[in-house]
Amino acid sequence: GCNDDKQAAEATPIDSAKQIEWKLATSWPKNFPGLGTAPEHFAVMVDEMSAGRLKIKVYGAGELMPALEVFDAVSQGSVQMAHSASYYWKGKAPAAQFFTSIPFGLNAQEMNGWLTYGGGQELWEEVYAPFGILPLPGGNSGVQMGGWFNKEINTIDDLKGLKMRLPGLGGEVLKRLEGVPVTLPGRELYTAMQTGAIDATEWVGPYNDLAFGLHKVAKYYYYPGWHEPGTTLEFMINKAAFEKLPKDLQAIVKIAAKATNQDMLDEYTARNVGALDALVNEHGVVLKQFPEEVMAQLRSVSAEVISEQSSQDPMMKKVNEAYREYEAGVRKYHLISEDAYTRLRE
Amino acid sequence: MALLLFLIICLVLMLGYPVALTLGGVAFLFALFASFFGAFDMGLFGLLPNRIFGILNNQILMAVPLFVFMGVVLEKSRIAEQLLTTMGALLGRFRGGLIFSVFFVGVLLAASTGIVGATVVTMGLMSLPTLLKRGYSPELSAGAICATGTLGQIIPPSIALVLLGDVLSNAYQQAQLKMGIFNPKSVSVGDLFAGALIPGLMLVSLYMFYTLFRLWRSPADFGSAITQDYEPASLARVISALLPPLLLIFLVLGSILAGIATPTEAASVGAAGALLIALLKRQMSMLALKEVMQSTVKITSMVFLILIGASVFSLVFRGLGGEELIHNLFANMPGGVVGAMLLVMTVIFVLGFILDFIEITFVVVPLVAPILLAMGLDPVWLGIMIALNLQTSFLTPPFGFALFYLRGVSGDSVSSGQIYRGVIPFVILQLLMLILLGIWPALATWLPSVLYG
Amino acid sequence: MGKLIGFFEGITEALGRLVGWFTLGMVLMTLAVVVLRYAFATGATALQETALYLHGAVFTLAAGFTLKRDAHVRVDVFYRQCSERTRHWIDFVGTLVFLFPLSLAIGLYSFDYVMNAWRIQESSAEAGGLPWVYLQKSLLLGLCVSLILQGLCELYRHGKALFGREAC
Ligand code: NA
Ligand code: NA
Repeated sequence: GCNDDKQAAEATPIDSAKQIEWKLATSWPKNFPGLGTAPEHFAVMVDEMSAGRLKIKVYGAGELMPALEVFDAVSQGSVQMAHSASYYWKGKAPAAQFFTSIPFGLNAQEMNGWLTYGGGQELWEEVYAPFGILPLPGGNSGVQMGGWFNKEINTIDDLKGLKMRLPGLGGEVLKRLEGVPVTLPGRELYTAMQTGAIDATEWVGPYNDLAFGLHKVAKYYYYPGWHEPGTTLEFMINKAAFEKLPKDLQAIVKIAAKATNQDMLDEYTARNVGALDALVNEHGVVLKQFPEEVMAQLRSVSAEVISEQSSQDPMMKKVNEAYREYEAGVRKYHLISEDAYTRLRE
Repeated sequence: MALLLFLIICLVLMLGYPVALTLGGVAFLFALFASFFGAFDMGLFGLLPNRIFGILNNQILMAVPLFVFMGVVLEKSRIAEQLLTTMGALLGRFRGGLIFSVFFVGVLLAASTGIVGATVVTMGLMSLPTLLKRGYSPELSAGAICATGTLGQIIPPSIALVLLGDVLSNAYQQAQLKMGIFNPKSVSVGDLFAGALIPGLMLVSLYMFYTLFRLWRSPADFGSAITQDYEPASLARVISALLPPLLLIFLVLGSILAGIATPTEAASVGAAGALLIALLKRQMSMLALKEVMQSTVKITSMVFLILIGASVFSLVFRGLGGEELIHNLFANMPGGVVGAMLLVMTVIFVLGFILDFIEITFVVVPLVAPILLAMGLDPVWLGIMIALNLQTSFLTPPFGFALFYLRGVSGDSVSSGQIYRGVIPFVILQLLMLILLGIWPALATWLPSVLYG
Repeated sequence: MGKLIGFFEGITEALGRLVGWFTLGMVLMTLAVVVLRYAFATGATALQETALYLHGAVFTLAAGFTLKRDAHVRVDVFYRQCSERTRHWIDFVGTLVFLFPLSLAIGLYSFDYVMNAWRIQESSAEAGGLPWVYLQKSLLLGLCVSLILQGLCELYRHGKALFGREAC
């Protein structure tokens, strides 16, 4: 009986002989707005563009495997694709951190420029090549928020002893400034903030933070997200599976990924506005900017941490040099274009 | 196929081979068999290491061995026994004092963790031997312990509610986005914690009323009259028996509420504290410590092998189209909110026999919650209904995680049959609570609305 | 044959005793993490991860030990009432058709996963974390070995009870 059910569910395609089925595992909870819905949209796009020849089934974190197992699963071909963020794979390839976002690094627009026309994509592919994974940019959240705090940050001394959930490079920076980066699963954040086990935490930006309800357990909402100024998400594709696809399906996958990459940024750009408004005006959240003195300190320590880590890994060194070269140029230009305009239009 | 696997597992479990190995073994063989007919893709087993490593690397689950350690220390050093009997004596000379002490201690412990395995095992270790020794009927003792142990899920802070809150919050957003609401209302873990409080306490009260009723109807279940004859204890003895362990339990809960420790870490505070008390009371020797460690190892291994077996089972269940099965079931949902809700609750109840909380939360809830929430149901109410329902499922014979875990620590003192008979009244009480909450959603939604507006 | 089985049981016992100390270690380390953070405002990711490694080691390496002590829970409504011989049969067949295939599946499907972690010397992704994730992942193979070693002993024991001298 059950077998018939299964067949009935699959009985849509026109040419079932040529239909290919892929699994895509994500590192996000199912239905998570933005990050989680992007790969769902991607799958629909691929389905429509390929007239049903490539069916991609999307699985949320914890469905097939825990969130941070997706890299290994794609590498081994247990699933053909994943949607995640490259900085999670620091323990496998330290250079991977550059392809999400680094403290005081490129913003979304600049990241896209680097990846597509600045040699970033080639380097990324090189970093993932030993794992048999093809990476593609899969969305961007824009500049994130600095985080939720129950203590005011007025001087650099306020970071001393500050217990904050801040993963990755940002955490390392906090540690150097005598703060206490705390390793906590995302799910324990709310309770930890509520009880005061931690003083602060970062999450994403207004659109996601509002839904998470962090405003119920924190007083201050700090900006900007210096630790993640232009977070690029990623699609990972098992190379062998990708190469087995006919040329037209390969193109469809790449184009749909590209569209998803842009679409997520558009979504966050539009949705953050209303969410921030709701946080401030409906929920009475106190919006605060990090003092410039604090930002300056964070910036110099960030540079220190990144160059130190880069000196320990040849591949990371190579990526760092390329990144910095591009960054120097784009900053110079943006100073008189994007930045100048933003400053002067007010 | 998925349904067939479910039935076969239930049958084979009855044979009595260890639960964990049966769950995993039958599922694997079935998958192998089905793959010959093209009904299962063995490639799915490539995910086995990812899934098992996920269990191995889960910091939240580390609370289990830590709590178990605490429970074993309190048992082996006889601190638990002294605590319960002294409390029982203090509660008056009437019969049944002991069992109310168990409820009291159980609720405090239940509050501090939300992992069924941890509380049932800890409660079982601490109170079962004492209850039996004082002549309480094995059925009543087992029922009370399992029921109190599963309370951990609903009395905050609870990891089960944390997981559920996460999933529901996304489902709630999804439902609102689909309706074109782009600055959606949110539901957070805090809302669920607040929502669970009244139903949780009501449930405890129901247990107490039932126990009083039973005391009146069949006093023989509450020990023989002779063993009830306590000597009037000196104040010093009372203090020395009560104060340290009660302080310890408050310390565990307090360290969470005061933000000193996360629930996982608080378990280590409890374990270390128990060890300290036992040493100070000179009730812990090197030999006893080794016994404690051995017991902790055995119980931890028992609990986690079940999780691993259940994980293998659910992988196969999914590969055989279990998810589509559930999906189709819900696609043809009977009209109306009530029908849909009833169906969802029934399916979750049945799946709760073999799938663990994590699996159901991640697989079933994301599937059904957006639909139900779009029908206008309150997310807090839905969350508490699901949590209560699963709690009941874990308690329902013949298969329920709470039952497995208690049986796992009861040795030969209590049989599965006695546990089954003992929990049935409590299952009925839980169903009653579910119905009450179903009729009056305000029991769950009132407190969060007052607290968070 | 008996000697080999005795040797295997010795390994199982030794593993069980070893990881016993791990449980005490976990308690003390996790407590230390709390104290360091609360009283000394210091994070201790490495300590936190060590406790987690030990936690994983406890139930993987001692899966066989737990089996040896018959502490893996059973639904014993029926099992309890049947004859000793029937029980031997259930355990003999169960070991053969459930324990071995399951353990082998865990071992075989985990092998590449573990080897890949060794190949890249996988380390923690956390700031200040431990560089030995490959060791932690190797526990998956430990689970397989621990179960199979004790599984062989169980098979021998129940087989001997069932078939008398023939098994030896
Ligand atoms: Na972030
Ligand atoms: Na709890």
